[in-house]
Amino acid sequence: MPMTATRASRDALRRLPTSARPAVDPAGVVVPEGYEVEPVLVGLSFPCGMGFADDGSLFLLEGGSTWPTRPYMPARILRLDTASGEVDEIGVEVLGGPRGVAARDGAIYVTVKGGYHAHLDRYDLKTKERTVLVDGLPSGGWHEPSDPVFGPDGLIYFGNGSVSQNGVCLPQGFTVDLAKHPEACDVPGQDVTLTGNNVWSRDPTMPFPFLAETGPFKPFGTPAKKGEVIRGQVKCSSGLWRCHPDGSGLELLAWGLRNPYGLAFDEAGELYASDNDFEEKGERAIADDPDRIWHVKNATAPHGSVATPSWYGFPDLCGDGLPAWHESHRPRKGKAAEPLLEDPPPWAGPAAYLEKPHSCMTHMEFCRSDAFGHHGELFLAQFGTYAPLNTPDPAALDRGFRVLRINMQTGVGEPFLRNREPGPASAHPGSAGLERPVDCKFHPDGRSLYVLDFGVTAVAPTHVVAYARTGVVWRVTRI
Amino acid sequence: MATEKSAGPILLELDEATWDAQIDRAASWLGDTLQVQEKFRKFAEDTASEMREPHIKKYLQDIIERARAHEELVRGLIRTIGREPSGGRSLAGAVLAKGGELIADVVGLVGGARGNWKDLRQLLIESQDALGAFAIVEQLGYALGLPELADPAFRAVAEKTKDHLLIQEFVLEMGPVAILMHQHA
Repeated sequence: MPMTATRASRDALRRLPTSARPAVDPAGVVVPEGYEVEPVLVGLSFPCGMGFADDGSLFLLEGGSTWPTRPYMPARILRLDTASGEVDEIGVEVLGGPRGVAARDGAIYVTVKGGYHAHLDRYDLKTKERTVLVDGLPSGGWHEPSDPVFGPDGLIYFGNGSVSQNGVCLPQGFTVDLAKHPEACDVPGQDVTLTGNNVWSRDPTMPFPFLAETGPFKPFGTPAKKGEVIRGQVKCSSGLWRCHPDGSGLELLAWGLRNPYGLAFDEAGELYASDNDFEEKGERAIADDPDRIWHVKNATAPHGSVATPSWYGFPDLCGDGLPAWHESHRPRKGKAAEPLLEDPPPWAGPAAYLEKPHSCMTHMEFCRSDAFGHHGELFLAQFGTYAPLNTPDPAALDRGFRVLRINMQTGVGEPFLRNREPGPASAHPGSAGLERPVDCKFHPDGRSLYVLDFGVTAVAPTHVVAYARTGVVWRVTRI
Repeated sequence: MATEKSAGPILLELDEATWDAQIDRAASWLGDTLQVQEKFRKFAEDTASEMREPHIKKYLQDIIERARAHEELVRGLIRTIGREPSGGRSLAGAVLAKGGELIADVVGLVGGARGNWKDLRQLLIESQDALGAFAIVEQLGYALGLPELADPAFRAVAEKTKDHLLIQEFVLEMGPVAILMHQHA
């Protein structure tokens, strides 16, 4: 079926056929005085990321198999000409789908979740030819590859989250890992010795749900032994790398980043990564782990000089630097965590910015424009919580669902774009504002911030579902 | 390079023609679902009537009641998306159920089983088929952004999953005596 993109009136957005999101209306969205917000494009399926080229082309990634993994919708890479409004298709990625994109010199660079392995691909924009630049990054689990971003050194930087949710592959990720990728597991970025603490759980893959014992850095159902050494790999999970734009010279800068979905360089050339908290559920449950932004300090080291990657805490430390089994992180739901690493590396924290748990920090970008205002501040999309599924804390029910602007010098953040009422629009009958902001990027004209809204996700204490065709691109313009 | 502002927002594949075509395709699948569900319900009725073991008979009768409700649910879902269920599907479901019984007889005889267990085994296959059809309806609801399709289908899938497990348990429990001792269930 060929893709159709048609112009509509603002009025048409008040009677959309998708009853999950029957209307899109900026009246429900609050921006600071001096700015206006408007919908640009409506009807995306599970969009996960976007990026601008210098000519104003906006590349939009429909995620394919996302959160949750069913249903798959075509994992398309679309190009929106923001001048003419024309939309065309650059390519369709493999499962799970594309997650982040950067444009440079007639090409786009796309991170892809993949099956057992995440990868970094390059698309030539003239020929639409796809080349896999870096492959073999451990995946097939819960988390995602990050935005690819170009550093001031011309190298491309990208991350990839952990395979397990909370340090051990367990049944809560059933549709992602156990059913499709039973051999998937985390891989450390440097040698680690294990405590031998394993986790018991039911095994949903067996004819009867017998118990299974699983250790860290092991596939589900495989226990670890006390004193066992797991060798570190350059292609680890929870890692952050850089390489030349042709994929050569791959260097691991950091690991222990649980879910580094957003990467951004500031104008001084310092690299920051967003990261998200452990979940308070299941057989290794951890409460009140703050979401955070890490300053990846060794990104300024010369290429090829990082002998030992920095470690940011996964699978044993929370964003505040406290152990996952610390009293302040004891779960209200699920079984408490035990130490997994006998000899944890030195911690690379503290975090540059801490946020309330379950806000879900996603893609981000520093403002480089005086015309837009807030020059030098970091704009970050917050997807919003999966509570009550991933925590029973009622205070977490409406966290996120907004775009934050953060002054990284002072460590102060405040909402820039949000709904009139906290939470997603779908939680408030009659509201037609934001659902789940997943990305925000500045138009090269310097006047507008584009915000990518994943669309409607419904969360219950037992499961989560998401609705296709409800994704939206919003534009915030300084007036 | 400029930011286009005057022409209004863009709808991606939400125009009337594209949407109607998608709904037609979803309705076609719902018709298939109705047919396989009718086939399952009819097969369950015939199997229950042959059952001698009183517990299994009662459990199957309960499953039949739920199966009737699920059948009605599908008819309602077809109307929910603005289409009408086809009357011809019902007859087809009954005919297909009879065909299933013939298959069960042939497979059972070849496998050495005797008695009504072979119908129970065939019912498991029909149950899987109907369960899968409903699960796809649920996914279509998500793919179309229609909770009024996805939510009822989700609940039906949950009920049918439990029913399927129950049928599977009886197939496994009664299989050895049907095959080794040629006994009825």
